Amino acid sequence: MAITETARRTPLVELRDMRVAFGGVHAVDGVTVDLYPGEIVGLVGGNGAGKTTLIRTLSGAHVADSGEILIDGQPVTISTPRDAKELGVETIYQTLALADNIDAPGNMFLGREVTTSLRNLDSGAMEDATRKLMSRLNPKFEAFAAPVNSLSGGQRQSVAIARAVHFNARILIMDEPTAALGPAETKQVRDLIRQLREEGLGIFLISHDIHDVFDLADRISVMLQGKLVGTVNKDDVTVDEVLAMIIMGKKPGEVTQKDLAELH
Amino acid sequence: MWAGLVPLGVGFRTTVAETEISTTERAPEAQPEEPEERPRSFRELLRSAEIDARLAGMLFALAVIWVGFHFLSGGTFLTPRNLWNLSVQTSVVAIMATGMVLIIVSRNIDLSVGAMMAAVGMVMGLLQTDWLPRLIGFDHPATWIIALGAGLALGALIGGFQGVIVAYVGVPSFIVTLGGYLVWRGVAWALASGQTIAPMDSNFRLLGGGAEGTTGGMWSWIIGVLACFGIVLLQIQKRRQRARYGFRLRPLWAEVTLAVVACGAVLGAIAVLNRYYLPPLLAEQRGAPPGAQISLGLAYPVLITIVVTVVMTFLATRRRFGRYVYAIGGNPEAAELAGIKTKRTTVKTFALMGTLVGLAGAVQIARLNAAVSSLGTGMELSVIAAAVIGGTSFSGGIGTIPGAVLGALVMQSLQSGMVLMGIEAPLQDIVVGAVLVAAVALDTIIRRRAA
Amino acid sequence: MVRPGEAAYQKGGAVVRHRVWALLALSALILAACSSDDEGGGGATETTGGGGEIVVGVSWNNYNEERWAMWDEPAIKEALAAGGASYISSDAGSSAEQQLTDVENLISQGADALIILAQDGTAILPAVQSAVEQGIPVIAYDRLIEDPGALYITFDNVEVGRMQARAVFEAVPEGNYVFIKGNAADANADFLRAGQQEVLQEALDSGAIVNVGESYTDNWDPAVAQTNMEQFLTVNDNDVQAVVASNDGTAGGVVAALEAQGLAGEVAVSGQDGDIAALNRVALGTQTVSVWKDARELGKAAGEAAVLLAQGTALGDVPNTVIFDSPGGNEMTSILLTPIPITADNLSIVVDAGWVSVDELCQGVKKGSVAACP
Repeated sequence: MAITETARRTPLVELRDMRVAFGGVHAVDGVTVDLYPGEIVGLVGGNGAGKTTLIRTLSGAHVADSGEILIDGQPVTISTPRDAKELGVETIYQTLALADNIDAPGNMFLGREVTTSLRNLDSGAMEDATRKLMSRLNPKFEAFAAPVNSLSGGQRQSVAIARAVHFNARILIMDEPTAALGPAETKQVRDLIRQLREEGLGIFLISHDIHDVFDLADRISVMLQGKLVGTVNKDDVTVDEVLAMIIMGKKPGEVTQKDLAELH
Repeated sequence: MWAGLVPLGVGFRTTVAETEISTTERAPEAQPEEPEERPRSFRELLRSAEIDARLAGMLFALAVIWVGFHFLSGGTFLTPRNLWNLSVQTSVVAIMATGMVLIIVSRNIDLSVGAMMAAVGMVMGLLQTDWLPRLIGFDHPATWIIALGAGLALGALIGGFQGVIVAYVGVPSFIVTLGGYLVWRGVAWALASGQTIAPMDSNFRLLGGGAEGTTGGMWSWIIGVLACFGIVLLQIQKRRQRARYGFRLRPLWAEVTLAVVACGAVLGAIAVLNRYYLPPLLAEQRGAPPGAQISLGLAYPVLITIVVTVVMTFLATRRRFGRYVYAIGGNPEAAELAGIKTKRTTVKTFALMGTLVGLAGAVQIARLNAAVSSLGTGMELSVIAAAVIGGTSFSGGIGTIPGAVLGALVMQSLQSGMVLMGIEAPLQDIVVGAVLVAAVALDTIIRRRAA
Repeated sequence: MVRPGEAAYQKGGAVVRHRVWALLALSALILAACSSDDEGGGGATETTGGGGEIVVGVSWNNYNEERWAMWDEPAIKEALAAGGASYISSDAGSSAEQQLTDVENLISQGADALIILAQDGTAILPAVQSAVEQGIPVIAYDRLIEDPGALYITFDNVEVGRMQARAVFEAVPEGNYVFIKGNAADANADFLRAGQQEVLQEALDSGAIVNVGESYTDNWDPAVAQTNMEQFLTVNDNDVQAVVASNDGTAGGVVAALEAQGLAGEVAVSGQDGDIAALNRVALGTQTVSVWKDARELGKAAGEAAVLLAQGTALGDVPNTVIFDSPGGNEMTSILLTPIPITADNLSIVVDAGWVSVDELCQGVKKGSVAACP
């Protein structure tokens, strides 16, 4: 990891004291996390922990009730997905957020279409760019004219990933990126994630698979019922300790032998 | 944006040789090596020629209906006169159906189009018989354009208004337009207390066809030839663009066949319309020598419909607006997350629908030479049926504009054909209803099989 | 949608038999007793207009329709005033349920007789029966209410059909005829057709005239009529000499189709309602006849009859009544008013009646070509 000292001091992204409430339910309750360039932060927690809601405030899909978002140390306002993208934040949603009836190039450039001088859609240019990108990500992909709902789960995932990496993102949010994939494709995506980290991107990775997280993440932030249990360096903890954080909300120092026994 | 591709580096070991294509130095007309395969079945034939199978199916069904009626009506259906009439009779519904496609595609519905037509039609009628004559006198050369413009603007306003309530207030479009269905009908009645407003301005009347509202033989040929050129140019342009990027091209035999068939169809249609001659009584009135055959050619309503179809198809397939409409229909959340301004797009679809209603209303009252408050009663159902028969799906995201126009033609062919056969109105309704359900059922089954 | 002068016949409905005469006699006695009190009406509430005066209640189905306020109501009021009765009214806003309530309200406000323009002739039956039982006579105004206890005052729709056919037949005694009928679900459409058929039967049988095309018109929609006419002209290669259209709206569509073939003015066309556009066509010569029903005659007849009934006259004793066999099988005591066929010769009638102005009538008409447009 080639990170300079100055970069180390200023986080790429900082979410400070974020709060989101739906009615009386505190989905996100005063959570602070940060992300440095060239780093993967795994965001984990059980169902309803609030990870997706938290990350949606960064991706512009939801506006937090209170809290601050800082990018490169500067406070920013993210009210729409467009704002997020303009700041270099790209997201791969759990549902993929693809328009089923539109083909791969159309989805790639959805909302950011390439237009000709007359402001018409430049389908040729968009298809060309998509082909190039997919040739690197998923070389066997040929169905560029078919609506994406006729593609396999893995192919759809690669379209969503291609879309996220195409637009000069500096911050990547990946919500369960390998959920629909087979082993070979999963390996490809993992390699890609590492590759992107090499290039200096900061990546928030949400995953249910604790081993995936341990494999990829540099740091792990654990949430439970809307609150942040804690953020740890992967190298400093064991899987069991992280599990204890997820399930019982107990920081590594607080875990007893009895707790560990209960986990198994 | 292109720079973004390079820093990603070559992170993968690819098993397929990458074709390194740099956009700046691409040699024009370079063909990728593709083995020339003989297509193995009819379906593959269509696919290799990239013809929309659904559209082809509809054309086939239309042909069957036409030939069928020709025999059942004792040889009257496939005459220039009847086909000319049919083309005009279809226009009003067809014009509106193009707008309805975008509405249904984006998961909305508009039940108010008939009532809107009545209200807007009444305004256009009153402008011509009452309000404008007071300002500028009867038979002013500008009357027709002012009335038409007012109708289009009013339609856009009403449509946009309904769209705002749907998009920004969040009331379901079914409810909003159901309200419109009642409200605008009442407004239409109130404008003239239910009276019939007639006659229309003499220039305005041309919009409705009739013996004078046509382009005539010569101009129809000119338009036909221009259309032919346009089709071929479009094909060439598309092929060029594909070649520039090295994409797979349609086999040449398919391109040529398609061009020939399309041109043939256009010129054939013009020929048929030109074979409908001015009735002798009217020819006399115009001072033509006895026995002279004056071709009527393309009626203005038909010309308007064709232009509307081309423009709407262009909007739907080549502009961002159309792309966004389809995206909203396919996955509204994805559209939002992609940064598409969905609310604004929805308002635009309704405003566009309103404008088309105004245009169709102008054609209708011009044709009838009167504005009545019962104008367009029940028409919303015909328009929706046309769109649906043409392949538009209520689940959203699917539907084509040419399909809807074909759907309108199919339905009108059925209705007009049945009158030729002397079948009574209630029986006609039974047939049309049955065909509507059958067409959609067939479509659903085929789609399910293909998936 | 209501067109001026159209009676909406209700098909079917419960056939209720009353001991009408006994009840009427009883109600006549009660009325006589009541009217000798200082307060009119049988209710506790005060009536408008002071003591001893007859109160007539009018239940409109939808007052907002132009015709009622412009023509019928003034005529009714005038007739009532002449008979020394006062006028109260209600508006049901096109709701059959509301009209039931309205009728009850009018009764409790002290109405001695009711004139009901039914939104739904079957739905209103309970209110009518109740009124008759309470001794309050009911007039079914313009629209049929299948209760033999009510007096039915309307224009004779079968006669309208006869008049249409007569006028066209006079112009075209031989040739091909097309029949453009009304809405299939509207009983009136069949009444009209029956009247037309009656007049033309002989000529049809003898072959002097031939029926070359006949169709209903969905919703009486002029645009549908236009399309249908175009098809009929196509089938017959323009060999049509007369079109019996059932109202002015459809006649307008027919004429539009004829104009496209240069046949307007050459083919006889009928209509009804006295639409200004249609009267203009009669003046221009593109329409042969428009059968006109003077709504004021209807209002006057109803007002006068209401006064008589309220004063205790028996149904059968009201002048000018006939027994009309209704579709529901009832013998309705009826006043059937005669409509007037308006042709180019007698256009002055509608002008003099104030129904249409000379300017509106003569728009585009060559001066002197018609008597009414000098």
